[in-house]
Amino acid sequence: MVNEYKGPRSKYYFYIGGTVFAFIVLIPLYILVIIAFGAPSQTLGAYYPMLLPTKFTLENLHNAFTGYGLVLLSAFYKSLETAFIVASLAVLLGFHAAYGLNKMPYKYSNMILALLFFSTMIPSLTIAIPISTIFIKIGLYDSALGLALAQELVVLPLTVFLITGAFEAIPRTLEYQARVDGATFSQALYKVIFPLALPGIVSAFLLSWLMSWDEFTFAVILSPVHPTLPILIYLQSTARGDILTGTVFSLLVTIPVIILTVILSKFIRGSYLSSGLTG
Amino acid sequence: MPKWRDEWTAYILMLPAIIYVIVLAFVPAISAVYGSFETARGQLTTYNYNFVISTFGISPITNTFIVTASALTLQFTIAFLAASLLSKPFRGRGIYSAIFLIPFGVATIVTGVIFHDIFSTFGGYANTLLRSFGIHPIDWTGSYWTSLLIMILADSWKNTPIVTLVLLSGMVTIPTDLYSQAMVDGAGPISRFFYITLPNMVSFIAIALMIRGISEFNIFALALLLFPHSLLTTMTYALWDTVNAFPADAGATILLGFVLIFAAMVMFMRSRYGKANMYGK
Repeated sequence: MVNEYKGPRSKYYFYIGGTVFAFIVLIPLYILVIIAFGAPSQTLGAYYPMLLPTKFTLENLHNAFTGYGLVLLSAFYKSLETAFIVASLAVLLGFHAAYGLNKMPYKYSNMILALLFFSTMIPSLTIAIPISTIFIKIGLYDSALGLALAQELVVLPLTVFLITGAFEAIPRTLEYQARVDGATFSQALYKVIFPLALPGIVSAFLLSWLMSWDEFTFAVILSPVHPTLPILIYLQSTARGDILTGTVFSLLVTIPVIILTVILSKFIRGSYLSSGLTG
Repeated sequence: MPKWRDEWTAYILMLPAIIYVIVLAFVPAISAVYGSFETARGQLTTYNYNFVISTFGISPITNTFIVTASALTLQFTIAFLAASLLSKPFRGRGIYSAIFLIPFGVATIVTGVIFHDIFSTFGGYANTLLRSFGIHPIDWTGSYWTSLLIMILADSWKNTPIVTLVLLSGMVTIPTDLYSQAMVDGAGPISRFFYITLPNMVSFIAIALMIRGISEFNIFALALLLFPHSLLTTMTYALWDTVNAFPADAGATILLGFVLIFAAMVMFMRSRYGKANMYGK
């Protein structure tokens, strides 16, 4: 039988190809790091910045912290607060929605999944503009809660797809057995089903957290006065024209997400992203 | 009175999420469409659209199309290569796929800042590289096509991982026997790609097109940093005003309209060509 996958020669090609791709992925991050830690005279200050700088310094970080300490801290706190509200709400709403969908006849659950998927098609900007006028009226404008309520729209459908995927691996008979043994509905749901779906729920939480941490469109419209970190980076690099500090802030935003992405890489699968449309 | 059933409780538990999406996504979208035909005095009018078109012309629309088409082309080309690499079993594949995924987590605005640093005319790393090859440096931010290129590169760096993931999940559903048989029949790699890989992946390509195409229409943060020409999003943002939201509503409605037309086209493509697909879902 012909099998192209087993020749030692083609294995070489995989490593060459893979390394080229990895290189392309890592170069921009490398640039981020050398700008943050390199001496400005060899990075942004030079007409031709060095690809391999020789002088390193902590001064850029120090200047960013001392010059913008309070602004940075309040943006950091706002981002953190918003991301935790978004992720908690996503799990709360998503877990129950996925449970209901799992019990529903296929025909109807598909309709609801389609509704959720359809909601992700509406541009954030289209929604953000009417929401901003409403939030000004009801006092949610510029608040972490208001921003979180809007950002939730981006993550909720994905959360539901992810947790639905986790439910499919749980045998239905387990829940019936618990009920026969005398567990109430909520005991069966929270003490039997919830722990079994926990890996899916945790990854949904982390993914929502990550997406809120990075989100720009809703944040720039709904929270411009007390910005989140991405908006602070934007203002720093454009309005204040201080691209070096903007780059240092960028590094601070990026460190947690790289750790999270590596943790999540086992859970983020194309099939979850697409479950709203397949089947 | 019938006996209360567990399923009914389950359906009720589902309601908050559905109500949430309706109240915070569909209702605002409808109110944006409605507001776009309204004035501050509450009359129905097309004034907002006339105002938007006369101020910005149609270049936001054409620019958005150019950006979408070129970004999708680049991302799908790279993603097909990366996915076919990752679909093969080899030692260390896990490490490679973890590295490939990293840009997915990096914030869009951070991507914009990094690519701004790489391609700036003064102090840019791209020009350092060009000079080391003896090529004359380029004023990257100076012309339409180079700033378009920078934005597309930044966008593709960040978003190709998603396309790769979706295509990969489609690629692994194709039985390897098909390839072996085609090779016995003398098909080369290119004809195997066009006669086996592509037809078997129509629905996954449609999904990736849907996810990415809609996002390309909505490209915003990168455009603010890297592209000094109007797109539908940056136009709408420039129109945005919390006191008089009606012109911005018109911009938002045009954006929504194009996104929905695009989505309908992808759906049509999927139902038209998806039938030839025997092994995919």
